[in-house]
Amino acid sequence: MELPYKILVVDDEPDLEPLMLQRMRRYIRQGRYTFVFARNGLEALDRLNQDGDIDMVLSDINMPQMDGLTLLEQIPKVDPDIRSVIISAYGDMKNIRTAMNRGAFDFVTKPVDFKDLQITIERTLLHMQEWREALSYRDRLVSIQNELEVASRIQQSILPSEFPDDPRYQLHGHMEPARDVGGDFFDILDLDRGRMGLAIADVSDKGVPAALFMMSCRTLLKGVAIGLAEPGAVLSEVNQLLHEDNETFLFVTVLYALYDPSNGDFIYASGGHDAPLLVRADGSTTLLPLTDGIALGVLPDLEYRQHKIRLEPGDTIVLYTDGVTEAQNTDEKPFEVKGLQNIFTGPGSSLGARDGTDAVFQQVRDFMGKAAQFDDITCLTLHRDM
Amino acid sequence: MDITSRRTEDALIVSAEGRVDGANARKFQKAVENVITDGDQAVILDMENLSYISSAGLRSILLIAKGLQKRSSKFAVCALQDPIREVFRIVGFDKIVSIYDSQGEAVKALGG
Repeated sequence: MELPYKILVVDDEPDLEPLMLQRMRRYIRQGRYTFVFARNGLEALDRLNQDGDIDMVLSDINMPQMDGLTLLEQIPKVDPDIRSVIISAYGDMKNIRTAMNRGAFDFVTKPVDFKDLQITIERTLLHMQEWREALSYRDRLVSIQNELEVASRIQQSILPSEFPDDPRYQLHGHMEPARDVGGDFFDILDLDRGRMGLAIADVSDKGVPAALFMMSCRTLLKGVAIGLAEPGAVLSEVNQLLHEDNETFLFVTVLYALYDPSNGDFIYASGGHDAPLLVRADGSTTLLPLTDGIALGVLPDLEYRQHKIRLEPGDTIVLYTDGVTEAQNTDEKPFEVKGLQNIFTGPGSSLGARDGTDAVFQQVRDFMGKAAQFDDITCLTLHRDM
Repeated sequence: MDITSRRTEDALIVSAEGRVDGANARKFQKAVENVITDGDQAVILDMENLSYISSAGLRSILLIAKGLQKRSSKFAVCALQDPIREVFRIVGFDKIVSIYDSQGEAVKALGG
């Protein structure tokens, strides 16, 4: 059972106390209200400070030592959530106005009509209850928001932020979620014989569900890729693992590639992911062929074909998610693969990995202007120097 | 995003209009599932007037298809605009969901 509401009655007339207890006895017996009394504003303040659990104050205006209007100003300093109702002389609009301006919730007039007073008390308590609930929702929202910020930091911290320092090639990537947390990721893995594993992926949703799915994809991919070399076999195995306990039917598109810095060999397999953009040193750009793989997590027992090309010195490969190509401007026109190609065609081919990635984000942002970001945006760029 | 539907002798045809993205994918899925009744042996999703679908929208189609598969009803999509057909191709959904060029072809294939 809930505790009774505690009401502090402040009046210098001693008769009010027995009268109140008698008229409200039904509600006191029901456990709805409990009353405490004070004879003036000062006594009332002492009581408020001492008890700490008073929900509502019902106060007369004219009293010795400290009057009701002064008391009204002091109450919020003790607890801003306490609601006050003023008892005033009939027709004393001047004091009633002053009381309301000082934060009184309502007023009743003398002689007190106890039926009307009881309705006023109920209305005041209801308002106070709703106010307290609103405050607690606000606190919960704030705490969820804080958790999302932590989640966002954790997510960003698992993405590579340091990139290989090797004279033969450059690698650089970045992910910008549409909300606090996202479903995109990229990864860079050191594999045996000096080879690098490169992954970029996009989970079919955004926000927290996608972020959780993304974390497990990324862990599975990393684990599988270290054991298996061939990109096709890696996707096949990760697909199987994701499908086994995928109750949510979330799926993920992944492009996984193996890069050998010793000879420039780039072997990739796509599980439903957008085709990589190849930028040749001469400034020409082409989309590499898709390998016809299905997004991971949808169907069991899939084989993934892979495709191999060789990067020559000066060549660049751009991996991206559809957050880049489907970014919209204020006219709802998409950035498209063409927008990406324009960045790297001609003189753009010599941007290199870091400047190339930065240029993609800069151009997409400029293109979007004031339009909202609907999707996570990710880009990972590989450039062969020698 | 808007959904309209009609029944022919052989199939329930649901037409989708506008965009399906992360913001309305769940609403889209519920709206389509709500017009499907137990008696529907074949459901065709006509996308002629659908201009955009995100991966969250593809997931909704996957969930609709799985639901129908469970009760042995047939499912197909038809009349995809080129950019949407391209999305289906890239993600590999053309190998999971039957795609027809027109509503007529879809009805013929599923109704028979």
